[in-house]
Amino acid sequence: MQIPKNKVARKHFSMQSLLAPAALVILYAFFSIFGNRFLTMSKFMSILESSYYIGFMAFGVTFVIITGGIDLSIGTVMMCSAVIGGVAFRTWGLPLHVALIFVPLIGLIFGVTNGLMISKLHLPPFIATLGTMMVSRGFGAIVSNSRTQNYPAIGSADEWFKHVFFRYQNFPIGVIYLVVFFLIAWFVLNKTRFGRYVFAIGSNEEATRLSGVKADNWKIGAYALCGLFAGLSGVFYAATYTTCTPASGNGEELNAIAAVVIGGTSMAGGAGTMVGTLIGVLIMATIKAGLPSMNLQQPWQLFITGLVVIGAVLLDNARNKAAAKARIPTKG
Amino acid sequence: MKKLVSIALALVLVLGSVSLAMADMYISVISKGEQHAFWQAVRKGCEDAAAEFGVTMFYYGPPSESDIALQVDALKAEMDKGPAALALASLSTESVMAELQACIELGIPVIGFDSGVPNAPEGSIYATASTNNKNAAALAAEEMMKLEGFVDVLSAATPESPVVIAVLSQDATSESVTGRTTGFVEKMAELAGEIGTVAVVGHDLWAVPADDASIKIHVEISATTGIGDVTNSANAVLNMDGLLAIFCSNEGTVNGLLAATGDGSRLAEGEEYGNIIVAGFDAGAPQKNAIRNNWFVGSVTQDPYRIGYLAVELAFRAASGEAVEDVDTGAKWYTSVNIDDPDIAILVYD
Repeated sequence: MQIPKNKVARKHFSMQSLLAPAALVILYAFFSIFGNRFLTMSKFMSILESSYYIGFMAFGVTFVIITGGIDLSIGTVMMCSAVIGGVAFRTWGLPLHVALIFVPLIGLIFGVTNGLMISKLHLPPFIATLGTMMVSRGFGAIVSNSRTQNYPAIGSADEWFKHVFFRYQNFPIGVIYLVVFFLIAWFVLNKTRFGRYVFAIGSNEEATRLSGVKADNWKIGAYALCGLFAGLSGVFYAATYTTCTPASGNGEELNAIAAVVIGGTSMAGGAGTMVGTLIGVLIMATIKAGLPSMNLQQPWQLFITGLVVIGAVLLDNARNKAAAKARIPTKG
Repeated sequence: MKKLVSIALALVLVLGSVSLAMADMYISVISKGEQHAFWQAVRKGCEDAAAEFGVTMFYYGPPSESDIALQVDALKAEMDKGPAALALASLSTESVMAELQACIELGIPVIGFDSGVPNAPEGSIYATASTNNKNAAALAAEEMMKLEGFVDVLSAATPESPVVIAVLSQDATSESVTGRTTGFVEKMAELAGEIGTVAVVGHDLWAVPADDASIKIHVEISATTGIGDVTNSANAVLNMDGLLAIFCSNEGTVNGLLAATGDGSRLAEGEEYGNIIVAGFDAGAPQKNAIRNNWFVGSVTQDPYRIGYLAVELAFRAASGEAVEDVDTGAKWYTSVNIDDPDIAILVYD
């Protein structure tokens, strides 16, 4: 008797989708028991608040990674967008709500540029986005004259910015955006033609093209969306940290990519879930908040987060191997 | 016609040689950055002094205060231009030792500013224009002690439930930040030592172990100078049992602490961190906002404009062969009460 192929796939999928949430729950429980003052509302809030900007970047780059590509520019594009928004507000004197439009817009422009270079000029994604990483780092510093941009703080003029995007009274408003944009990203990935083509391109780009799909254009779309999300994350970075430093942000893309990988999305493309990415983001933030509560100084956090990323990929490999083995009988 | 050309040529030659003779003195300024408001005020001071003394100045600031390699590269590039003098605020003294040695051999006078270039090879640094960082940070410890009820809390502490006073610092390499950390820790240990047993914990460089300490001074050093990591360190400090007060030793750590406390709003009375006393360093819009709202008890300000101005002035004088000596550019304590006083307002830049 043949084992239906989709049954194996489904089993594989359910394992994958359960493992990451389980890890999150275990981590949270672990820190709650052994950490100092971990199980508090304020700690929970700081976990959420440090997830916003990483989350937006991770949602966007999930699309790109599923196409089999990579976007290394999202960290610096995020910062560049936020810095330019700050310049529009402080230096050009635009009202804050107008200046804020610049932030996702700059991200989108960088995203489209990446997409064009990769699809039309056939640059490898690694190289193309490495280039835009440097370009965006420099561009933000040029526009801002290397000056740090401060967004309005709570208790100063225009504090509505914080109330709308970060926290109102004691409610973490940002989490609403995180959930809403997660749902949008989930819907686009799973319920639209665009999402299906993203998976198809990642599985086999040539076959996708041969079956009449304009793969190039959809790929540009994936990078554009990724850029737009990076720009959006700039708004939430500014809301969380107030101070945006030009020529920085490099390294943040790796936090987002690590979250995507922890969430079970394959770097080889063709497989991944938005739920996994969200969980990955929360796992990263939980580790970040949890280790200090165990009185581990900061270098340890970097060290352990690195181990978690490696562990997640090893686990993913093992799962894939098991799934491949399970598939063998289907031939007979 | 021929005559006209030769006259014109002669004129060009004469004017050219005159302008060459009058060419401005070239001075290189290698600073630690441009992002913080502090450095913008330093730069303004440099520019004004350059205009005042008629020197051509090149000002360099690395993208971040972690970019030691970029700063060393910029220093080398400037030395190749053969400046009349160099003003340097080094991110790490050790990394520029060879260059400073070369400056002695090339006869380029070097002026230290801001953190200066401590432990530099003998004879390379002609003078330094800087805040005495130890004294400046000690000011914060003294002011904390003066706060109503502060001493009472320290006296009530016991070895079983010790009181923690934390210092939040960005790194353990830069002289200004380590100097401030040392200044605060030593002064606080001295003053609190009169009340109870003090232990210094958290980082090996400053550690002073003590059994049965009722007062702990905790030194927290962030892994990198990135604001995410600094915020994380701030969260770790805020999380500590028995925390009474935090001293943030520069604008970067202040911004990290502000990010961890909703721009400082959670330090307001009645909020979750309402009982924690926070003192900052330097200025910048978010910090000034926290001070105006009384979320910070106060901050220490340096005189960045004067630091920049004196760096170029001393460089000019040294290059002109005059004798120069170190200048302490001073520090002041400011709070919500005196932040708008004219003598403070000019020091606390946005």
